[in-house]
Amino acid sequence: MTTAFWIISAVTLLGAVLAVTLRNLVHCVLALILFFLGIAGHYFLLRADFLGVVQILIYIGAVAVLILFAIMLTRNVTGTEGPREVFGLKWWSGAATAAIIGALVLAAIRRDELSKLPTSTQANSSVLEIGKLLVTDWVVPFEAMAVLLTAALIGAVVIALEEVLRRR
Amino acid sequence: MGFLGKGLFQGMAVTARNFVGSYFDKERMVTVQYPEERVQVPENSRTFPFLVFDNTADHMRCVGCKICEEECPPQCIYIVMDRDENGKPLQRPKVFDIDISVCMQCQICVEVCPFEAIKMDNNYEKSQYDRFDDLVERLPDLLKSNEYYNHIKPAEASAVDAKLKAEADKKAKKAAPAKAAPKPAAPKPAAAPAPVAGRLVIPEDAPFTPEQRAWLAGFLSSAGAVAGPATAPVESAAVELPAVEEAAPDTEAAPAVDTPWHDPGLAMPQRMDLAKERPLADKLMAAMAQTDCHACGYDCRGYADAIAGGAESDLSLCLPGEGETAGMLEQLMKEAGKV
Amino acid sequence: METIYQLLQTWLPNLPEPIMRLISFAVPILFVISVFPGIFAYTTLIERKALGRIQNRLGPNRVGRWGLLQPIADGMKLLTKEDIVPRKADKFTHFLAPVIAVIPSVMLFAVLPVGSGLIPVNLNIGILFVFAISTGSVLALFMGGWASRNKFSLLGAMRAVAQVVSYEVPMVLAALVVVMATGSLSLLTIAQAQSGGFLNISNWFVFQPWGFVGFVLFMIGAMAESARTPFDIPEAESEIIAGYHTEYSGFKFALFQLGEYLASIALAGVTVTMFLGGYNGPGSHLPYVGWLISMGWFFSKMMGVIFIVIWIRGTWPRVRVDQLMSFAWKMLLPMSIINIFAAALYHFMPSKFLAWVVTAVGLLICWWGLAKLNSDGEIKKRTYRYAN
Repeated sequence: MTTAFWIISAVTLLGAVLAVTLRNLVHCVLALILFFLGIAGHYFLLRADFLGVVQILIYIGAVAVLILFAIMLTRNVTGTEGPREVFGLKWWSGAATAAIIGALVLAAIRRDELSKLPTSTQANSSVLEIGKLLVTDWVVPFEAMAVLLTAALIGAVVIALEEVLRRR
Repeated sequence: MGFLGKGLFQGMAVTARNFVGSYFDKERMVTVQYPEERVQVPENSRTFPFLVFDNTADHMRCVGCKICEEECPPQCIYIVMDRDENGKPLQRPKVFDIDISVCMQCQICVEVCPFEAIKMDNNYEKSQYDRFDDLVERLPDLLKSNEYYNHIKPAEASAVDAKLKAEADKKAKKAAPAKAAPKPAAPKPAAAPAPVAGRLVIPEDAPFTPEQRAWLAGFLSSAGAVAGPATAPVESAAVELPAVEEAAPDTEAAPAVDTPWHDPGLAMPQRMDLAKERPLADKLMAAMAQTDCHACGYDCRGYADAIAGGAESDLSLCLPGEGETAGMLEQLMKEAGKV
Repeated sequence: METIYQLLQTWLPNLPEPIMRLISFAVPILFVISVFPGIFAYTTLIERKALGRIQNRLGPNRVGRWGLLQPIADGMKLLTKEDIVPRKADKFTHFLAPVIAVIPSVMLFAVLPVGSGLIPVNLNIGILFVFAISTGSVLALFMGGWASRNKFSLLGAMRAVAQVVSYEVPMVLAALVVVMATGSLSLLTIAQAQSGGFLNISNWFVFQPWGFVGFVLFMIGAMAESARTPFDIPEAESEIIAGYHTEYSGFKFALFQLGEYLASIALAGVTVTMFLGGYNGPGSHLPYVGWLISMGWFFSKMMGVIFIVIWIRGTWPRVRVDQLMSFAWKMLLPMSIINIFAAALYHFMPSKFLAWVVTAVGLLICWWGLAKLNSDGEIKKRTYRYAN
């Protein structure tokens, strides 16, 4: 529980809070990006540097950009149209859900099973080790994810192709 | 044989040649480093007018006839004729201002000048700090030598010089046998430019008797009013001055009458005095400015004949004469009962 | 950084520990901050003069002898310009976009080995760090376009994002061959793997067939990442005025330019490190002066790559946005995947010479095959449906 942990946690929580409370949707996405950076910081703290860098690469470089594209297509991005209910029904239901999930996670953390998980024996979980594990122990999930991604890519191409064919 | 990307590398070879060549081959660079170097302007380029003088600044060709002032479309020229203490017009301008913020460089002043006095310069570096005062060019700024004119526009200037020289020669040749009728040929020919390469003014204190003066004036000025050569100078527009309209039938052209008042150096009272006993046409002529500048569309004789004959009713056409001539003409016409 | 720490320990062991740490932090940071923006400033001048010479004219030569003070004049001009923010623009995003454009570009220099053993931070995931950080600049493009509240800026931003994202993939895959050959993600290790050999030159990866193809692919990807011609759709002056940075003036515009140029310089540095041997060159392994010579080699090679990029800018026309996308997905991506196969083949073949020849031939055939597949055939005479 070093000072770095507290600082990074504070930044992460700030990003998370801003992401749900800001009015302008683009500002919310920027706060979400701050949150992702905070999570990457946590990964670095846990000495999983590969995972941290991949977090930045994927979440900020791709997912956040995707969310921005999606936001561009929505109306009311600036959050100024329509009534803004502060403590309406949606807020209460969201808070209740968050409380339930938070209680579950907290209970899970405090139980003992979690401390019995094997800790990593290497000092650094280097890329080499991750690569070896991916193609030996975890090859089936790896290939399954590859198939999933390929299917998504082909699906995207098919959707775009329909439009191209229709237009022609 | 073409591989994918061959054109790209050929392009890069061209630019590499450009790049390397730019260091070694001085003709390749198209940059003109202003203000150290300037682009050579073509000969016909023009910016603003200037006045030509022949040898020294005293021998300017401009006589202050004000034709350019009247013809200028945006009216950017302002001329005041120089007069001596008696009010007699000296044949040169005292004030000659061109406002170059107004001038539209149309070159009309050059085209209408009968004396080849105003030409277009090609100097474009005329920026000033004050928009109103500094952009008015006055007489000392405008006077530039004939050598300068030859320098900036050689072809044009040499054609103008040839034309003036030819006219001076012709005048000298006509002056030799011309004892008789200096007047007759004068008003007749169409498109008669009356330029004189250097106006000869008989000073007041020259020791001539009035008869001698009259003869001399008539001899000198009327000999110069002979039809100029119909060559085609570069300033060919100057040749197409409004033709001397001899529409009036009773322009009998009075061949053998000499005109002692036809001296631009004489003041109005003296001219009227010389024409005292003459018919109306002669008196009218004496009232003119005697420059034969063709501002009115005729020479002095022709204008007088046209007014006397009734062909011309506008009495204010004599530009060099200004109000004085117009007033005298009116007075004469009133006296003659022909208003 | 560690090098300086060790040097300090050997030469000045009496200094207290925190001071030594501080100095070993501060020196590389100062080095990066002073050298690379200076290179940026003079790269702008070199670019203008080189483009001028390519176009048969002189570049700027009025401000200081040979125009050497021109970048200072430009900087002063941009600093003193009025900072205009469009009225209904998103002020926070408008302010943040140039900042986010610059930060990743500066961070890239932290993992660039400028000399033997001279790297500010020796991350053992160096290359991945480079790619992760360059995706940060994608955000800046989008934010700049969005915040200007200008439809054309937004269009420019969308096209820019599409371009950058699609060219990242062949770039990463082209870098992958080098990682495969070296077995490490750290840029310092990659540079060290190219040392030795004849004059320290023959081990460069660019001389291998897969390395050469990788070099070409990586250069193309790097030029597209930093939006340089022929891929400068995002900021094509004649097309979309200035694209995503239309509405920026004064210092914010200067920051966008700084970010773009620094990214270009940094990616040139990464190219040099991965393919052209980094700091290796004749004399870079000598004991005492080796580090200085290696720095000289690194910077001259980097400036050489930058000059080639500028040369390309002055020569090739801009690609259309659909040509750009099809080039990336249909041509570069298959080529980069085939390149990975070729590198693996090279690695596993018994004889190196045979491996070289086989992979070279294989790559050429694939290049030709892809060109044939992508080409639209002979350009036929145009026939009209309704005319004539």
